[in-house]
Amino acid sequence: MNGRLRASFEYGTALLLLAFAWWYASGPMGMPHYLLPSPQSVIATLWDLLQDGQLLPHVAFTVQNIVLGLVIGTVFGVALAYLLFKIPGLGEVVEGPLVVLQTAPKIALAPLIIIWFGLGLTAKIVLIVSLVFFPVFAGALAGLRAIDSRLHDLADLLHLSPLQRLASIDLPASLPGIFVGVKIGAIQALVGAILAEWMSGAQGLGYMMTFATATYKTPMLFGAVLLTALFGMAMHAVLNEIEARFLSWSTPDEQ
Amino acid sequence: MLQGHQCPVPSWLMSERPELITIQQIAKTFGGKEDSVVALEPFSLEIAEGELVSIVGPSGCGKSTLLRIIAGLEKPTSGKIVLGTADLKRPVGFVFQDAVLLPWKTVADNIRFPLDTSGIPRSQGEEKVRELIRLVGLEGFENSLPKQLSGGMRQRAAIARALADDPPILLMDEPFSAVDLLTRETLNDELSRIWRQTGKTILLVTHSVEEAAYLGTKVMVMSPRPGRLKKTIDVGLPLPRDEHTRRSAEYLDLVSDLRNMMREMTK
Repeated sequence: MNGRLRASFEYGTALLLLAFAWWYASGPMGMPHYLLPSPQSVIATLWDLLQDGQLLPHVAFTVQNIVLGLVIGTVFGVALAYLLFKIPGLGEVVEGPLVVLQTAPKIALAPLIIIWFGLGLTAKIVLIVSLVFFPVFAGALAGLRAIDSRLHDLADLLHLSPLQRLASIDLPASLPGIFVGVKIGAIQALVGAILAEWMSGAQGLGYMMTFATATYKTPMLFGAVLLTALFGMAMHAVLNEIEARFLSWSTPDEQ
Repeated sequence: MLQGHQCPVPSWLMSERPELITIQQIAKTFGGKEDSVVALEPFSLEIAEGELVSIVGPSGCGKSTLLRIIAGLEKPTSGKIVLGTADLKRPVGFVFQDAVLLPWKTVADNIRFPLDTSGIPRSQGEEKVRELIRLVGLEGFENSLPKQLSGGMRQRAAIARALADDPPILLMDEPFSAVDLLTRETLNDELSRIWRQTGKTILLVTHSVEEAAYLGTKVMVMSPRPGRLKKTIDVGLPLPRDEHTRRSAEYLDLVSDLRNMMREMTK
């Protein structure tokens, strides 16, 4: 608890310093407004957008895509890892194609994904899923392979059904590994969501950024960036909280 | 025999008892045709209900392999095991060298695990779990995670889990080799008591001749490379065993006999 309190204190201090530097550069230092709008003007812009109901749909759209992509990518990643874990021969067959896919720069493939899946929601989700999938897959496979073999002896002794093995041994035992992947995947999902919105569509924080740039609304651009960063931090905090609550068994107690 | 009054020799040990485990020409070879290793040479043995058989021998004598075969975790290359447990789904409870608890479950949930996975509703298993926690002396630690317990306490929880769905046979693979000597002696006494209270048939693999002699009604001595059953000794030490046993001449003689046999084998 003490460690977490200290961490949030350090976070808070860092954010305050950053905000102060921003305010100083835009105010007393006299940076031009179109390059660096003041914090006050950014917050005022966001407030106005919130008031006339334009802001929330954009935020909701991006958040929805990230959550959807993260969930689908995680499910696929864990499922494929489990298949590979259960069917040892499968690994040799799939490994080659997987390495090619994994090393391919997904961001460079983004335009191709748009061509294949259109300008709508599908392409965005596909891009996010492709970014989330690999870290989760790798984490889950590492987690599954690290399971104490005697836990499988225990499963044999108790004559557990395949479903019981999955639910009561394999899945919980590999959860720490899966979670490492999800944490990396969450950041990737955020990048993917914004990128996808830059390229097509008329919704989301990424769209707000391109719109603001094209119309020289720098305070709005800053507002969208700020919200994206805040959402990233919130996601990080939520994932850390989940980890602390449900995965404390996997870390040694602090002395 | 002061303590003896509280724990008299149970009646089920006095009477004639049926064979519970019949080992028929069991043998085990590991590896392929060219680089095969004989882990166990064929042997036969019968173990009666309620017996506590210590299996002792140096590393490589196949004692753990034998236990795993009886548990059904490994298939023998030839021969077979017949258990007189009718058609129980889970005839054996198994205690590993270190506890192998599910690290994400509390002590109580670990002990409850065999009940949970056989579809017994929680409310019904509750009393059984409480009773087991009492039996192994873990009151007050029901909600602790395994990582919060000492090695000896984890092993107590593992014993309770092995007993949870009441299997007639308890197989223990060097269960106390990872705990310190003092804890080990305490756990030996506890195991002896649990055995007398529950009437389980117990097979205990150990490489400690003291433990084998102190606990067993029978000691199977096995020799290594290739693993074979060298001798079966009936232990005549009176029950219950306690501090007096540890000082008695019969016990000390048996220990030194066993130790000499071990020395012969590892020459």
